[in-house]
Amino acid sequence: MSVHRYDIAVIGGGHNGLVTAAYLAKAGRKVVLLERNKTIGGSAVSEALFPGFSVSSLVEGTSSFSAQITADLGLERFGLSLLQDDSPDTPLVVSPQKDGSHLAIFHDVDRTAVEISKFSKADSDAYPLFLEEMRKVAEVIAALNRGPLPDMPEVGFKDMFSLARLIKPVRALGWRNLAKSMRILTLSVSDLLDEWFESEVVKATLCASSLINVSLGPMESGTGYLFVQNFASSNNKLFRSSAQCTGGIGGLSQALAAAAEDLGVNIFTDSEVSQITLEDGAAKGVAMADGRQIEAAAVVSSADMRSTFQNMVSAGTLDDVAANRVDKITYNGTAARVHFALNGLPEFTGLGGELSTRLKGYIQIAPSITYLQKAFDQVKYDTCSAHPYLDIRIPTLTDPALAPPEKHLLSVTVKYMPYRLREGNWQDLGQKLGTMVTDTITDYAPGFPECIDDVRVITPLDMETNYGQPEGSLVHGDISLDQSLWMRPIPGYTQYNSPIKNLYLCGAATHPGGGVTGINGANAARRILKDWR
Amino acid sequence: MSNKYDAIVIGGGINGLTAAAYLAKAGRRVLVLERRHIVGGAASTDELYPGFKYTLYSYVVSLLAPSVIADLQLHKHGLDLIPLNGSFTPMENGDCIAFPDDEAQLYQEIARHSKKDAEAYFKFGEFMTDLARTMKPFLDVVPPDPVHPGISDLRTMRFLAKHLRSIGKDKMHWVHKIMTMSAYDFLSEWFETDVLIAALAQVGIIGTMLGIKSPGTAYVLLHYYLGEVDGEISAWATQVGGTGGVSEAIASSARSFGAEIRLNTGVSQVIVKNGKATGVALDNGDEIYAKTVVSSCDPRVTFRRLVEAKELPGELIRAIDNYKFRGSSGKVNLSLDGLPDFPALRDKSLLIGGMPEIAPSCDYLERAYDDAKYDDFSRRPFMGCIIPSTVDPTMAPEGKHSMSVFVQYASYNMPAHGDRDQQREAFGNAVIDTLSEFAPNIKDLILHKQVITPWDMEQQIGISEGNISHGELTLDQLFSMRPTPGWAKYRTPIRHYYQCGSGTHPGGGITGTPAQLAVSEMLKDGV
Repeated sequence: MSVHRYDIAVIGGGHNGLVTAAYLAKAGRKVVLLERNKTIGGSAVSEALFPGFSVSSLVEGTSSFSAQITADLGLERFGLSLLQDDSPDTPLVVSPQKDGSHLAIFHDVDRTAVEISKFSKADSDAYPLFLEEMRKVAEVIAALNRGPLPDMPEVGFKDMFSLARLIKPVRALGWRNLAKSMRILTLSVSDLLDEWFESEVVKATLCASSLINVSLGPMESGTGYLFVQNFASSNNKLFRSSAQCTGGIGGLSQALAAAAEDLGVNIFTDSEVSQITLEDGAAKGVAMADGRQIEAAAVVSSADMRSTFQNMVSAGTLDDVAANRVDKITYNGTAARVHFALNGLPEFTGLGGELSTRLKGYIQIAPSITYLQKAFDQVKYDTCSAHPYLDIRIPTLTDPALAPPEKHLLSVTVKYMPYRLREGNWQDLGQKLGTMVTDTITDYAPGFPECIDDVRVITPLDMETNYGQPEGSLVHGDISLDQSLWMRPIPGYTQYNSPIKNLYLCGAATHPGGGVTGINGANAARRILKDWR
Repeated sequence: MSNKYDAIVIGGGINGLTAAAYLAKAGRRVLVLERRHIVGGAASTDELYPGFKYTLYSYVVSLLAPSVIADLQLHKHGLDLIPLNGSFTPMENGDCIAFPDDEAQLYQEIARHSKKDAEAYFKFGEFMTDLARTMKPFLDVVPPDPVHPGISDLRTMRFLAKHLRSIGKDKMHWVHKIMTMSAYDFLSEWFETDVLIAALAQVGIIGTMLGIKSPGTAYVLLHYYLGEVDGEISAWATQVGGTGGVSEAIASSARSFGAEIRLNTGVSQVIVKNGKATGVALDNGDEIYAKTVVSSCDPRVTFRRLVEAKELPGELIRAIDNYKFRGSSGKVNLSLDGLPDFPALRDKSLLIGGMPEIAPSCDYLERAYDDAKYDDFSRRPFMGCIIPSTVDPTMAPEGKHSMSVFVQYASYNMPAHGDRDQQREAFGNAVIDTLSEFAPNIKDLILHKQVITPWDMEQQIGISEGNISHGELTLDQLFSMRPTPGWAKYRTPIRHYYQCGSGTHPGGGITGTPAQLAVSEMLKDGV
């Protein structure tokens, strides 16, 4: 039996694991990264789901990946190429309506205001003011995202440094406005938008994307926080961006892996960790499923809390309070993915001809807040939405290399689809899902069925079994107010540490949560370097 | 111009009367103006059918502050509470879960459904009582002003921060959880029996347009246990002669301290001169002057109806316009020819002074919410019933009964059902039809029925959109944010004009606490 020694062993090669590993190696640590699958990337993978195609299986777009990390790790040298379509005609989001009209949100505020005015003059006037307000609040949240949060309620001198970051954004917001602004974090996104806008189309178009990663409807309290969080983690100071990188989301993971290896990280794929090995209650390495033993001064897990503390650590290691907290985390994956290989481009009603460039961003089927909420209502009874919210992307419009010549790829995130089904099973329902999504899209793009060559469905159950996402939750635990900020991943361990000495956490389970931002990974690396100077 | 009064209180409900009593007790000359022919507002009793008394809107007394009871000597003035004799929830399969007062019986009953839950139930009770005790200091203080903090605000904040640190990490995290979780999720961490979770979770939705699975409803569960902390009444109770009797007692106390209460006197406007309130104009055109004017009405009435917009900063107007009311509860009052029979109930003695609650499953409650949240009423609503005549013979003639049915949900707007009369009819029918699923003989017993929708409540007692708490009790409308940040300390931008209703901290219910805290602030200002 061979034993390998490292300073730090990172479990899981998703984007956060890769970021942590790279930063640690950059600081001179000897790092090994262990990925269970053949390909690196975790939920940020591109796969050949159809021959000749490169499909971003679970997650679309790299828009919110931290520009700071890209620069720190020099990712562009390692093949990361952001395809930012700078043409002013490319919207971030277009929301087609049944009547053939559509709302497009552009990067440019004035241009967006003109689009909004087709639905409401008052909303068009409110939009620039709204953005200004959201950006100010988002700056405060962004400052919270960058650092370890104080371990509530024991705020003390030790937290002064991280809290000092708040001074600037809070001053910009105005101390007197702090309470009023923090109030909006507890609102539902529907109530938040009601305070600014009147048009259902405008409200639904703005809020839909903040719901993608959670099991909450737009009328649930706390979704206001998610909306602001989208602004806080964006690179363009908007709630969404249409940026994508060459090769799809997997292109980002490949660049991260290349950068990490260049910095000296040993990356092993096909390497499943079966156990975190402990000595005197402290982590001292990992045992691999194939019998290899790896020794390390510290271990970092990018996996979710269930995998880390219930599968890789033997029962009884955690004290009762911590074990109970881990056990009570709610995951509730509620999204499915459906991919279509197309032989041509579908024409969306009202978006033909010159306007077809508007299909380059995200295409949202989310005509009203009520539509979104009703789609959500179903999952409360463990049933699929009959009229789902669809978040569609045709990535081949921006990067034709993702499909064979003359072919297109259309990828859809479908909400809300419960991981647990009261009736039936995902093996059967998966088939029907493809048809249901096709039908829904056809309502807005009548010729769609004729374009389809092939379909692949990834159910919430597939996300768990094939991609290791607990209950299909890509964010490793719902981002609800009771599982956010100093409650994430579990209270008492919000600073990327864990109940086990020398075991750290760097995945989406940590603050500030999911999304392909890399922030969690970078924060974790900073924490580890502080402990292991 | 000499003022005959030091203070005029607009509205003679629980909080208006309490404010008047405290002010009068402090030696102020006080006049209460009530639009209706009886005192009480939402807590009033009337005889709409000969011989039968209806507790019109509210139905049970729970959290009346012991300090209010003592300070105002309410027992001497007629306060006479009968604690409820447990409750029970009939299920759709014909079974039932009952909550008798006797602990051994209660254990047996829950254990019938799940032994694990029976064990957990009593631990949960202790846990919640402890958590309620932890939260109590927040309810008892004037909320600090985070917008214009003065020395007293900083002192309060320091006191509360110290308190939070002293309770320790673990409990602090529970505070966070209970403030942000749904009642369903919170209870699911403790219990496995669906009907038990439903029966407990319904407390979390009373008066709010949220479902048991909506984040933010767990916090209301705490209210139930706050009674335990204070000790005067452990949970729910009814007043002899109907809830109006509580209002009568406070009115009598106020009068004994010298306050004057004028009925049938509606206020049309607060008179403001140079940014100062100087009196009120009545519906009949008369004007009455006073040094101070206190509104016990809800925030929309206080800021948007009683005063002109030009007297207020635009930001406050915007905040009040965004303040969420969303009435969600209706009331059906019945005169019955006999006692309704709930076949699912095993121990029939629970019907005497007990509370039948129609909350047969979690799905049932959540569907009731889903039905109503898009401007409608629940096809099969949640109902909390009391039959006060089983323990209080003054409520109905001998052998007959009066029954109070609190119903959720009914939206303030229900356009799918035609005009307001048709809406009321359709809603009332849904209530009686559903009730008869669980008490089949009820339809034959009804002698008279009164149906009240949220819209009716607004018409009859003036509470905006019929919200019984003067506005949703959601996180963004609590504590220093009730009704809105910067104006949660009972004052208003108009000098000598105060608020003391349920739209201020700590919110709705028959507590008297908002008025008590408001008067403490007024006296600080030298009123």
